[in-house]
Amino acid sequence: MRKMFISLILPVSVIIIWTILTTFTGLIPSYFLPSPSEVLQSFETLLMNGQLVQDTSLTLMRVVLGLTVSALVGIPLGILMGWSNAVKDFSSLMVGIIRPIPPIAWIPFAILWFGVGLESAIFIIFVGSVFPILINTLDGVKRVDKVLLESAYTLGASNSQVLLKVAVPASLPSVVTGLKVGVGVGLMCTVAAEMIGSSSGLGYLIFTSTSMLDTGSAIVGMLTIGVIGLCADYLFSRIEKEVSW
Amino acid sequence: MCRLSFQQNREGGELVITLENITKSFIQEEKEHTSLQNINLNVNKGEFLCIVGPSGCGKTTLLRMIAGLDFPTNGRIFEGETEISCPSRERGYVFQQYSLFPWRNVLDNIAFGLEVKGLEEKERYQKARKYLKMVGLSQYESSSPKELSGGMKQRVAIARSLVNDPQVLLMDEPFSALDVQTRHKLQEELVRIWSEEQKTIIFVTHNVDEAIFLADRVVVLSHGPGKIIKTFNINLNRIRDRSTPEFLNLKKEITSLLEIEL
Ligand SMILES: Nc1ncnc2c1ncn2[C@@H]1O[C@H](COP(=O)(O)OP(=O)(O)OP(=O)(O)O)[C@@H](O)[C@H]1O
Ligand SMILES: [Mg+2]
Repeated sequence: MRKMFISLILPVSVIIIWTILTTFTGLIPSYFLPSPSEVLQSFETLLMNGQLVQDTSLTLMRVVLGLTVSALVGIPLGILMGWSNAVKDFSSLMVGIIRPIPPIAWIPFAILWFGVGLESAIFIIFVGSVFPILINTLDGVKRVDKVLLESAYTLGASNSQVLLKVAVPASLPSVVTGLKVGVGVGLMCTVAAEMIGSSSGLGYLIFTSTSMLDTGSAIVGMLTIGVIGLCADYLFSRIEKEVSW
Repeated sequence: MCRLSFQQNREGGELVITLENITKSFIQEEKEHTSLQNINLNVNKGEFLCIVGPSGCGKTTLLRMIAGLDFPTNGRIFEGETEISCPSRERGYVFQQYSLFPWRNVLDNIAFGLEVKGLEEKERYQKARKYLKMVGLSQYESSSPKELSGGMKQRVAIARSLVNDPQVLLMDEPFSALDVQTRHKLQEELVRIWSEEQKTIIFVTHNVDEAIFLADRVVVLSHGPGKIIKTFNINLNRIRDRSTPEFLNLKKEITSLLEIEL
């Protein structure tokens, strides 16, 4: 209760100051920064005409799809790289070179290869979120307590059983952390991709409304992304707690 | 066939573990550092053997080599007639650190060895429950390891090793993190289990009192490089009374032997 109160102080103060600056004193003109009531109005309009729901669900779908692809590639690859030094040596240079490239830099190629649409958005999200998932998984497998692995061997487990029954569950917390980071990056990538290579989604909403000086709608889009990120973070933190061993 | 001569000891008992002239060196900072030198040791079936020695004399290293988790630089180690080359369910190991799988409950921890062996769930749990009962933790079968005290964790670890019915149980200071009362209680339990199950146990400790309380035979290692300096046969009736003159004399003798070493 107390914690909730403390965490609310800052956002509420920001809204109050924002209201004072825009509505009551008029120090900031509305095309520069819309007042909270204008944002609320835009919110209502976007909600009533269904655009907000549509764009939000489109963005969410892209994030979920992109993240699924990342997880399907990143988790197994991370496990293998963490388990086998041969696999790690084989792939580490390649990973090391591709990883630092910002996902946004891939946008032109994504459009070239996949056109404007779902595929290229998924590609961008994949490029952005696969590495945090991969690296965290790899790290998790590498850092599994040696005594657990050795216990399993002395209890008669084979190599593959030790991998599947010990290394994988033991690294689950790191996998979840990787997914949590991946969601954040994925969300950023989606919006960036939508701004440039798409005609729908929250990124598109923000981009088009600002260009039409509808700053209220842009802020609604931004806040929606913020709320999605917050929820995803909360969800994964809960899962993290669940699997913290 | 050439190994038959090693198969029987003087009394004609069966040998479970044989160490032949074991030397173990590690390379540390580009210098070779010998931690065990010329260890010869026979362990008989059903024997309770304790290895004592000062910290860093190579007790863990020795036990790990018997388990197949590490390898001698020179010399050979046999289980029966077979040279040891890898870990096996026949050589159970109880670690000094807590080693339960934290994502499995107590019963599933104990059943792990049977699970990897491919036993049906019903049979697995039936056997696991038997050993859980043996260590007195039946009411904790669905607890998570997190919820157990240190002593309970080590009890579960012992049950987890025993469920495989191993030839030898290797134990590396399993009680060293526990308070005296708990340690004494677990020592008594271990002696009871050992005699009920007729196991061969090799138990490493730096606690002389513990060694005399438990063992048929106490092997004393010297410090750096570890060599066997003396072996004591303990012919006291179990469960042993720590306050008898025989117990105290042995304790004094072994302790002073170790103090010279330090
Ligand atoms: N993997 C390793 N690499 C290098 N040196 C090692 C390694 N393992 C053990 N040693 C060295 O071998 C010696 C014996 O170590 P070991 O752990 O077997 O001793 P110990 O008798 O079990 O000691 P303690 O009573 O403290 O557990 C030590 O000097 C240690 O530094
Ligand atoms: Mg040790």
